[in-house]
Amino acid sequence: MENRNYNVYFHTHTISGIIICAILYVIFFAGSFSFFKNDIAAWQKNTSYEANRGSVVIDLNHVFDSLSNHHKLTGRDFEFNVRHGMSAYVTMSASNDSTVKAKVKKEPEQQRGGRRGRGGNGDSAFFTYNFLQKKSVDYQSGYDMGEFLYRLHFLAQLNVIPVRLGSPFGYLLAGIVSFIFLFALITGLMLHWNKIVSNFFTFRPWAKWKTIWTDMHTALGVLQFPFQLMFAVTGVVLITNWALISPYTKFLYDGNTEKLNHALEYADSSKFKYTYTPLAQPVDLNAYIASVDQKEPGDEINRILIKNFNDDNMHVIVQTKPLTSESFAGSGKIIYRVRDQKTIYEKSAVAGASYIDQVKALVYHLHFGDFGGRPLRVIYFVLGLLGCVVIISGILIWLVARDKSSTPKHKRVFNFWTANVFLAACLSMLPVTAFTMIVLLFLKNPDQSDIYHWYFYSWLVLATYFIARRNLAITNRQVLLLSIVTCALLPLFDGIMRGNWFWSTYSRHAYDILFVDVLFLSLSVVSALAFYKVKNKQAVSMQASEVGDDDADDVIPAQKTKVIRRPKVPAKNASVQDLSREE
Amino acid sequence: MPANKKYLTRSPWIRLSKILAGVIGGYTVMFSFHLLLTTIFPQENVIATSFFTGYILWAILLLTAFLMQNHWKVWGVYAGLTLLFSLPYLIS
Repeated sequence: MENRNYNVYFHTHTISGIIICAILYVIFFAGSFSFFKNDIAAWQKNTSYEANRGSVVIDLNHVFDSLSNHHKLTGRDFEFNVRHGMSAYVTMSASNDSTVKAKVKKEPEQQRGGRRGRGGNGDSAFFTYNFLQKKSVDYQSGYDMGEFLYRLHFLAQLNVIPVRLGSPFGYLLAGIVSFIFLFALITGLMLHWNKIVSNFFTFRPWAKWKTIWTDMHTALGVLQFPFQLMFAVTGVVLITNWALISPYTKFLYDGNTEKLNHALEYADSSKFKYTYTPLAQPVDLNAYIASVDQKEPGDEINRILIKNFNDDNMHVIVQTKPLTSESFAGSGKIIYRVRDQKTIYEKSAVAGASYIDQVKALVYHLHFGDFGGRPLRVIYFVLGLLGCVVIISGILIWLVARDKSSTPKHKRVFNFWTANVFLAACLSMLPVTAFTMIVLLFLKNPDQSDIYHWYFYSWLVLATYFIARRNLAITNRQVLLLSIVTCALLPLFDGIMRGNWFWSTYSRHAYDILFVDVLFLSLSVVSALAFYKVKNKQAVSMQASEVGDDDADDVIPAQKTKVIRRPKVPAKNASVQDLSREE
Repeated sequence: MPANKKYLTRSPWIRLSKILAGVIGGYTVMFSFHLLLTTIFPQENVIATSFFTGYILWAILLLTAFLMQNHWKVWGVYAGLTLLFSLPYLIS
């Protein structure tokens, strides 16, 4: 390969990588746990969805009965985003009836859920409805750790920063990081292209640290390339697709967003006129939804829209998606006119997926890993965490490659400072996650702010502590120790506090709760293994360093314990060569 | 061993120029290319496809900007390609 190109790949890969590594780690870590979002939610609420699978009905009549106690429902639009058949995010609009609307406006504005800044005007509402327990909770108190980690993985919590460019700050940052990640993946692939086969099979765990990190980074990176590329691309698409959509709207649809949304089958732009005539006969929504549900066994309802509630022109739109065992792609829709009980539009979810359906299915299913049940999620989770390993080893290579006597002292101080901060912040996430989940067991009805406080403050404290210690080896060892303890305590306390021992959750088929307990126990075991290995390795290193040619100065204390035999850097030509060739 | 500086852009201004050319120019080339495709294939299908191809092409064009020696050449090539690809759109 031409030397110049090689060095360009190398440098762009290094720079793009070091810019995004810390945030990307957060994204990968939180994202990996988000594959188990529903399980974590079930765990926290101590309500197994698995145990109740199949026995829960979408009881809309009950929802409207209870809502009507506090609200006048006539003329409103409703949107139910059904999650795994057990609960739904519900958006209730203000009434389309201008006479009702005027009256309501005089009343004090009630508190609304602030998700994505939706909400519209005064009388609308956003809440979560649990079909299992038949009760609604507002978004903040229904908030759970699964939701927290899921939203953390696209940095939603940073949306409070009042910078808005196309999308809120957190989403924008996540999108940019995702795109730079894509760039880093491509440069990384080009960098290793010539040796892609040999790198694939190269792993030398007995060599010196830098070689281990290099091998880890290249071998895992090459191995994971397709998986990571898929995440980089679908990640950008899911979070900041406006970068493409808005120019398309401008150039191809004359700036008409509705037209584009319609063409891309994103949203239904059909309007249903409000007639100010009450519906002659009340409708049994449950019966209708049940009939839709039974009509096609190969799909499930994922969204129900109700337009002009109890008006003569009331419509029910049911959107379905196929079970992935039936069809990978597809979206179904039924529009039902209540007045004369007529289905005015029908598209099956299972048959006849359009090209757009297929592209969308690719984006969603590949990113969410929801097409192969729990085993696939576990594979996704492991691959996701291996992504974290690639990131960490990347940071360490970056540090070690620059840690030599020819580098000016101020640069080495800066490099170490960066690596120290990044590692402290990244590595403390696992114990912090387990710790926060344990704390939630002791709190009564923890809500969004509880989760925020416990998670972010404990993260801050732990990261600050590790930054202050200024020793990567200590950070690593203590994080592993903390992980062993917290991850093991989580299932233990779940058993003590709530009686959720492995055997009891198993016997009552609460597999989702059981799974979270087992997951954390496994993480504890893996941490213990890692701790054991690291300790052995470091013991060997210490001995070696006493007799070794360690030329470390006092600038970087961590290096004394971590790197035994500093690579004897061939002074001139080293930089042209690849990391793994440098031996 | 970091990359050999000998092969890298030294001037921060030229580097900035390359980054901007890669990000902005790369985007316009990518976008105009897909606009061109809409004249051949169904519009909404091209848009959907570009969810994948668009971002990957953009990232590759960003890299190409760094690979080219002269930053003015990058601007020139990207501007030329953008113009070329958007000709059908400009004419119609």
